[in-house]
Amino acid sequence: MGEVLVELTVNGQLREATVEPRLTLADFLRERCRLTGTHLGCEHGVCGACTVLVDGAAVRSCLVFAVQADGAEVTTIEGIGSPDGELSAIQSALRDCHGLQCGFCTPGFVVSVSAFLRDHPNPTDQEIREALSGNLCRCTGYQGIVKAVRQAADAGHRGEL
Amino acid sequence: MTELTAAVGATRYAGSRVPRVEDARLLTGRGTFVDDVTRPGMLHACFVRSPFARARVRGVDASEALALPGVHAVFTAADLNDGVHEQWYTMMGRATPTTPLPPLAEGEVRFVGDPVALVVADSRYVAEDASELVDVDYEPLPPVVDYLGAEHAGELVHPDYPGNIVGAMETPVPAEVEEVFASAAHVVNETIHQQAYAAVPMETRGIVVERSGASGELTIWSATQAPHEVRAYCARLLGLPEHRIRVVMRDTGGAFGQKVMVSREEMCVMLAAMKVPAALKWIEDRRENLMAAGKARIECGDVRMAFDRDGAILAAQIDYLEDAGAYPIPWPVGSGMAAALLFPGPYRVPKAAFSAKFVFTNTAGRTAYRGPWQFESLAREVLLDIAARRIGIDAVELRRRNLLRSDELPYTNPNGMPYDNVTPLETFEHALAMLDYATFRREQAEARAGGRYVGVGTSTYIEPTTSGMGNFATEGATMRIEPSGKVNVYVAGGSSGNSIETTVVQLTADALGVDIDDVNTIQGDTAITPYGAGAAGSRSGGMTAGAVREASAVLRDKLIAIAAHRLEAAIEDIELAHSRASVRGTPSIGIGYGELAELAYFRPGELPPGVPAGLEVSARYAVEAATLWANATHVCTCEVDIATGQVTLLRYIVAEDCGPMINPNVVEGQIAGGTVQGIGGVLYEHLAYDVDGNPVATTFMDYLLPTAAEVPVIEYGHVETPSPGAGGYKGVGEGGAIGAPPAVVNAVADALAPLGVTITRLPLGPSEIVALVEKAAADGRPAER
Amino acid sequence: MKPVSFEYHVPETIDDATKLLAELGDGAKVLAGGQSLIPMMALRLAVFEHLVDVGRIAELQGIERREGGLWIGAGTTAATVEASADVASMVPLLAKATPLVGHFQIRNRGTLGGSIAHADPAAEYPAVALALDASMDVMGPKGRRTIAARDFFEGHWSTTMEPDDLLVGVSFPVWSGRCGFAVEEFARRHGDFSLAGATVGVQLDGADRVRRCAIGLISLGSTPERAGAAETEIVGRPITEVDPGEVGRLAVAGLEAVPADLHGSAEYRKRVGAAMVARAWTAAITEARDG
Repeated sequence: MGEVLVELTVNGQLREATVEPRLTLADFLRERCRLTGTHLGCEHGVCGACTVLVDGAAVRSCLVFAVQADGAEVTTIEGIGSPDGELSAIQSALRDCHGLQCGFCTPGFVVSVSAFLRDHPNPTDQEIREALSGNLCRCTGYQGIVKAVRQAADAGHRGEL
Repeated sequence: MTELTAAVGATRYAGSRVPRVEDARLLTGRGTFVDDVTRPGMLHACFVRSPFARARVRGVDASEALALPGVHAVFTAADLNDGVHEQWYTMMGRATPTTPLPPLAEGEVRFVGDPVALVVADSRYVAEDASELVDVDYEPLPPVVDYLGAEHAGELVHPDYPGNIVGAMETPVPAEVEEVFASAAHVVNETIHQQAYAAVPMETRGIVVERSGASGELTIWSATQAPHEVRAYCARLLGLPEHRIRVVMRDTGGAFGQKVMVSREEMCVMLAAMKVPAALKWIEDRRENLMAAGKARIECGDVRMAFDRDGAILAAQIDYLEDAGAYPIPWPVGSGMAAALLFPGPYRVPKAAFSAKFVFTNTAGRTAYRGPWQFESLAREVLLDIAARRIGIDAVELRRRNLLRSDELPYTNPNGMPYDNVTPLETFEHALAMLDYATFRREQAEARAGGRYVGVGTSTYIEPTTSGMGNFATEGATMRIEPSGKVNVYVAGGSSGNSIETTVVQLTADALGVDIDDVNTIQGDTAITPYGAGAAGSRSGGMTAGAVREASAVLRDKLIAIAAHRLEAAIEDIELAHSRASVRGTPSIGIGYGELAELAYFRPGELPPGVPAGLEVSARYAVEAATLWANATHVCTCEVDIATGQVTLLRYIVAEDCGPMINPNVVEGQIAGGTVQGIGGVLYEHLAYDVDGNPVATTFMDYLLPTAAEVPVIEYGHVETPSPGAGGYKGVGEGGAIGAPPAVVNAVADALAPLGVTITRLPLGPSEIVALVEKAAADGRPAER
Repeated sequence: MKPVSFEYHVPETIDDATKLLAELGDGAKVLAGGQSLIPMMALRLAVFEHLVDVGRIAELQGIERREGGLWIGAGTTAATVEASADVASMVPLLAKATPLVGHFQIRNRGTLGGSIAHADPAAEYPAVALALDASMDVMGPKGRRTIAARDFFEGHWSTTMEPDDLLVGVSFPVWSGRCGFAVEEFARRHGDFSLAGATVGVQLDGADRVRRCAIGLISLGSTPERAGAAETEIVGRPITEVDPGEVGRLAVAGLEAVPADLHGSAEYRKRVGAAMVARAWTAAITEARDG
């Protein structure tokens, strides 16, 4: 079927490719851009491991076709923290609070939490848990993740990337 | 060989909450999971799977699939299965019976999802298109779906297993045990059912196999807990020499037992890789994982306990029945027996009897899942609470009267299990104190008066960790001080989130007297890391500690010997700290590890006599005991909304004794993860099948994992009783999944006891709870309390 | 789980979109937020030869006061609805339902129009539209027309729109006076489709009698349901004489096509539905009375 030319910015870099319409944004990022930090845990929009920012909004990249993201600005986990490895405040908080074990769900959480704190700087504990409910983790039991978000929010972090 | 003395910079890191060394790469999306691996010309695999629970395969027509551009091959059993040379798992040994494990289904499909053909194409997208074009001619047959009736079903899952029995151990109840039950003041008898659920790691299974034709080398990247097992199994399977196979795992995204043994799909990819011109990658999708990666936990037990007038346990009996599915991996009988042998738990139980039976069904095969034998704790702890209510004793008081005290150890349970170095009663009391049990009971009374249903449940278990059996018995470490004085340590690992990199680095830094930033580790690469059985059976903490101890002792001796010679001091006066050897009392007199390394590597003539060149050692640890026992108590409080059946967990407390802790964060993280899996197993997860053997929960819309919004804050209490193993450490990885389900069930049962509800069957989703409440009301049942 | 191939079209105007849909026929499907459609395509439960992406059509955006009430463009994301002050003040029932729509990541892409056109009886927006007697603004090859909510939902995932129709917007009537609104649903986990739910609007007169009420039901039929008989029974009564439990029982009494699955039987869902109606009723009444 007809391939389509797409142009989008990923982590500040312009990417151009000719793709099948059915190629998901997740696969575009992983395969065409070689940014494998975005993970596929379910491919049907429940687990959140594939979460990226599209024009600043946290979305499940497995539920977006690359062609739909033409012209968009996409931020993946590789665009969070500094290029020389300095962690963002959210990433540091997760590390401090033992908020990851296998790390497979982690990029999705980092992106989701960054967007959430940016938009909700003073969340209640309940609001934190509800905001996290769109990302699944099987290793941590969420204990360290909730603590990390609480810690980052209390320190006044607004999800800076 | 010198002991670890205060001469080394003591334990700076072990015991402390050191931030993880894995985190830097994982937080920034720079881990290497198997799907991140790309090889030149790599091809992609996709399985054609049976839509029937049971059917004869009359033919496979791949012509249309092969005609699709981008498709390289379509393999069937006729193409691949003959390539199998030997099939057995190292842990089980060559002699253990294996149930049939054809790589691709041969002649008959035996569960929905059974792989029938393997498509190889340029991309997964094309491979999926092609798999829909493969035309399989099925003749459906009547499946055996319900394990409860499998023995008398009439149909056979496997032709060579009459009665669908995989294995059984049935001995008549000894007369003396029967006598106890006949004469006891109280006998409580129930049948407890647990439903099918599964490990469901966030990363599905996956493997890349690349054959280098000319050299005959095979390189495998695998999502595995046991890279050396993948190598060994592959070598046997393909008839290739073990030394020419390399298995690499860098990051595995969760496993919980599902990725210890090589599965049929992985066998297929290994076999197919020998027939395709480039590396072959298979990444399982989530639907496949829920349908075919294997199931666990579906089992039942007729259980009974006899008590004297005061509630002291006199005897315990379990008749255990397990659903093994169609293709269990591995042979389930050995580990399944543990559910029977451990049924008495950490209690004073004079007499016991058991039987165990394992049956095939036309459903996904049984695979190991975190504490595979945990039914023993579910059945026992649920039965104890039921017994307490019936006898008229508080459930906590009943535990107090029967839990083993540490001063009663060593204690051999009535089935011959030799418990030692555990603290069941003490840990139990610790957990109860954390709850403030008396206050909770007062609050419960107030809540009940106000028409609210709140309850408390406990569970206490004993767990065999760090097994000394078979290939689990030893663990090796290679440790190297590089020419610059920095340290590398290599262990087999197999971490799928278990933080083994961090704990090994902590232990090595302590052992060698270096700063933690000066230690690096590489794990999970069979070309680099010494043989290890992998991260399974809660063995990694203790075993890697032992391996580090053995290797570091040799290196320490060498450093001290070279330094003493260089500094013209006595060996016993040399201290090691901060990568420097110095003379006790005169710290200014010393020599850094870089200088020592230079001597060892580049100026061997200047070494003391008898000290060989180099600062590198490989050593192997053999665990001191057959089992390192650990124990824990879980306490859970909840509220049940009887209008909807919703359960809200209020407080959740775990007091555990896993010995001293290498890193308390890691211990708590393992407990938390297992606990939430246990909570999921009771309240949310169900790998259900309909009567025709069709799996009903094949996506995350229906297979429900708990989210952050459903789980309570988990509070931890730590008791530290050393084991005889290295460092006194015990394993801790599986406990959460063992202790949580009974605690949650008991809390719900306690909440609903005033309504006359008895709970003996899982899952406890909201509709099941409402049904229990409605049934109790309809039966006009009196309150159990 | 990769979807089957399709041709991709991205019209810029409503006219272009409807022309395309007419041309392409049955093998074409509108793609809006994709949050319901793409999972089905990934699972290969849905296969389309053509997807018509309406995400770039400006005319489908907007939240505007119009004669019939508050008009919301079909392409408006749930996140935009959630953030809208106009929706909060003019259609509180919609504002209260929105945080229950999946998770915020879903709401960032999923559209109001997409949810309503997808017509999942377990979704919140169709029930709100039905409860409030919203009007669907539809464009077809023969021009523009309006379909009342009560005539819109036909069955599970099916509406009375034709395959070449495009939902352009939805008009929600605005209630005035002493009103209260509430949404109560029971889902197994936060963000899941509910097992049963209720969207309730109530208006009181000066003497605390029920002047009007609207009860929409979620997950209790093959379409969203309106508890008309319960509403009729309650209107005119003083709120002190209305027992919330009775409202609940009445609301679920006549339901015939209540779903049953792994998560619950029809009887169970009715029981929970009744409880949700009762709770939503109580909350709505409290809001109306206390202002």
